[in-house]
Amino acid sequence: MNRKRALIADTFCLTKRRRCAADSVTGDSQADGAADIRSSLKYLVTLFSRKLFNDSLPPVVLKHQLYSLHNDKTAVDKQVNELRENGELLMFQLGFDSEAFALVFAEDYRAKVLQGEAGRGTLGTVEKFLAKLIPSCSDLSFNKEKMLKEFLFTDSEITQLVKSGVLTVRDAGSWWLSIPNSGKFIKYFIKGRKAVLGMVKKSKYGEILKTELEGRRTTSQVKFQMKYHIHDIIGAELVECIQTTSGTLLRHVDGNVN
Amino acid sequence: KEQTRDNDVQQGTKVLSLELNHNRDVDRIHGNGINTLDIEVIDGRYMLSGGSDGVIVIYDLENNSKKPQYTCKAICTVGRSILMCLHVIRHVHKFSVETVQWYPHDTGMFVSSSFDKTLKVWDTETLKPAEEFQFDGNVYCHHMCPIARKHSLVAVGTKDPKVQLCDLKSGSRIHILQGHRGEILSVRWSPRYEHILATASTDSRVRVWDVRRASGSLFTLDQHNGDKSKASSEAVNTAHNGRVNGLCFTADGLHLLTTGTDDRMRLWNSATGENTLVNYGKVVNESRKGLKFTVSRGCSPEFVFVPCGSSVAMYGLHSGQLITMLRGHYNNVDCCEFHPDYQELYSGGKDCNVLAWVPVLRQPDIEDDETNSKRGGAQAAINPAFEDAWSSDED
Repeated sequence: MNRKRALIADTFCLTKRRRCAADSVTGDSQADGAADIRSSLKYLVTLFSRKLFNDSLPPVVLKHQLYSLHNDKTAVDKQVNELRENGELLMFQLGFDSEAFALVFAEDYRAKVLQGEAGRGTLGTVEKFLAKLIPSCSDLSFNKEKMLKEFLFTDSEITQLVKSGVLTVRDAGSWWLSIPNSGKFIKYFIKGRKAVLGMVKKSKYGEILKTELEGRRTTSQVKFQMKYHIHDIIGAELVECIQTTSGTLLRHVDGNVN
Repeated sequence: KEQTRDNDVQQGTKVLSLELNHNRDVDRIHGNGINTLDIEVIDGRYMLSGGSDGVIVIYDLENNSKKPQYTCKAICTVGRSILMCLHVIRHVHKFSVETVQWYPHDTGMFVSSSFDKTLKVWDTETLKPAEEFQFDGNVYCHHMCPIARKHSLVAVGTKDPKVQLCDLKSGSRIHILQGHRGEILSVRWSPRYEHILATASTDSRVRVWDVRRASGSLFTLDQHNGDKSKASSEAVNTAHNGRVNGLCFTADGLHLLTTGTDDRMRLWNSATGENTLVNYGKVVNESRKGLKFTVSRGCSPEFVFVPCGSSVAMYGLHSGQLITMLRGHYNNVDCCEFHPDYQELYSGGKDCNVLAWVPVLRQPDIEDDETNSKRGGAQAAINPAFEDAWSSDED
């Protein structure tokens, strides 16, 4: 049948489908299947405040911040492990949470460590350690046997490495790989996280729009950029993320007193 | 073959559209929270529930009324009721019933275990215990092997770090599995090999045993897959960073799911004990005793249903993605059970309700009954992933 005028129902149906399709493209801030972790990491690195530490720390990103940018956690884990095996990325156990891992690009790490070591007696040992570590090793901690037999370090050299901050004590005879001068980072990070969570909790009904939180004035407790902390609390599931018509809503979750 | 594949795809869409069904009710009998549910595997018709008041109820899930709206009636109750004669009261559990399970081969028998430190084997006809096993500590869980032909063992997890094996044929306790250092919160037989048993304990470890062996466990599940450098020294060789309180094998027995109080759920290869590293994110788990969760059966892809607070969280088994939260209970959900024949989920919790989550099917068109009865299922997609957004309605 040939219609001169289209049915009203048809017109409505079509626009509805188009709008739905459009929404799914623009509203979707998460990358699709072929997720590029490297570019997400680079983006998160820009959120890191270098000046705060007088440029002595390499940019540190937390692994769970990636979960706030990508939907599929298992895929993120897999790709991070691939990058670590290629020697591009280093992972560290930070110590305040068994599930919180820090990620640093290997190049940045080497540059900052050597910069910090310049002029010190321990420089040679540290260079030797970095040479062993960066191309192939993807461990988070080392025990005495590995250091002595595989890496061929002496006891005094191990002491030098601990002194320089590249290793921290984990247990009698084993050490964590660590970032030198990261104590300040962890302190500011934990304080800032607590303050941001407090902001969410104190909001009316215990929830706040993500865009509104980003625009809030930070207190003196919060030293990092707001976005850095927001990716952290979303990725670590310390707040519930709810999609609404006005954007993403962050709701305080009971039982999370960090 | 084409038919069954179609079936499977359909079943996948059914599970994705689970909703609280207002047409299906389950009789409310329990006066205190419901701790455990079990649906018999033979016909899928009768369901057992055990509650914190020590009461056990049997429900008939079949719809005998001609209407779509019906209530699953409780056909018998083992519990304290004023109308019961005194000699039956003697047999009732004194404290909370933690686990109930139908005898895997027929509905003439079921087994219940409780915090009154007993395990009772009941005769369904007379509702009297045919056998009773006494233990030294609270019984957290028990499990009978669903496929056992060569043995009739019940594995029992109690406050004692030793896992007890009781034999139903002889009525005695014949075996003890030693190895754990904390209370046993969950035990599960493999649905693939009748001699393989998995146990979870408060010592953060999950052990897999072959009960035919005299020596210890076959292996312990290690969340770091042997990489001793990943965690602190105490966490070496542990399955979780907290108490492990939930175990569930997938239907084919090839994978094992574990949940722990570190708010994580892990998927393991049950043959090698390898952590598949599927990341489900934070699975809130505050249970002080065992957590009873379940995996879907008969659909592809498979889904995990975990009680999370007052809702049931549904995750894709191999993808780790949170599909949806099923909300409907008024209080904490303690247990859930999947009905494979109808792709339905039953959940019970502290609000004393058993809720039925039934896939929502769109009503077929009245015009062509015959063809639509076959295609009705295919049109039932609610999930946008299956929505037909391209074909024209004008035909």
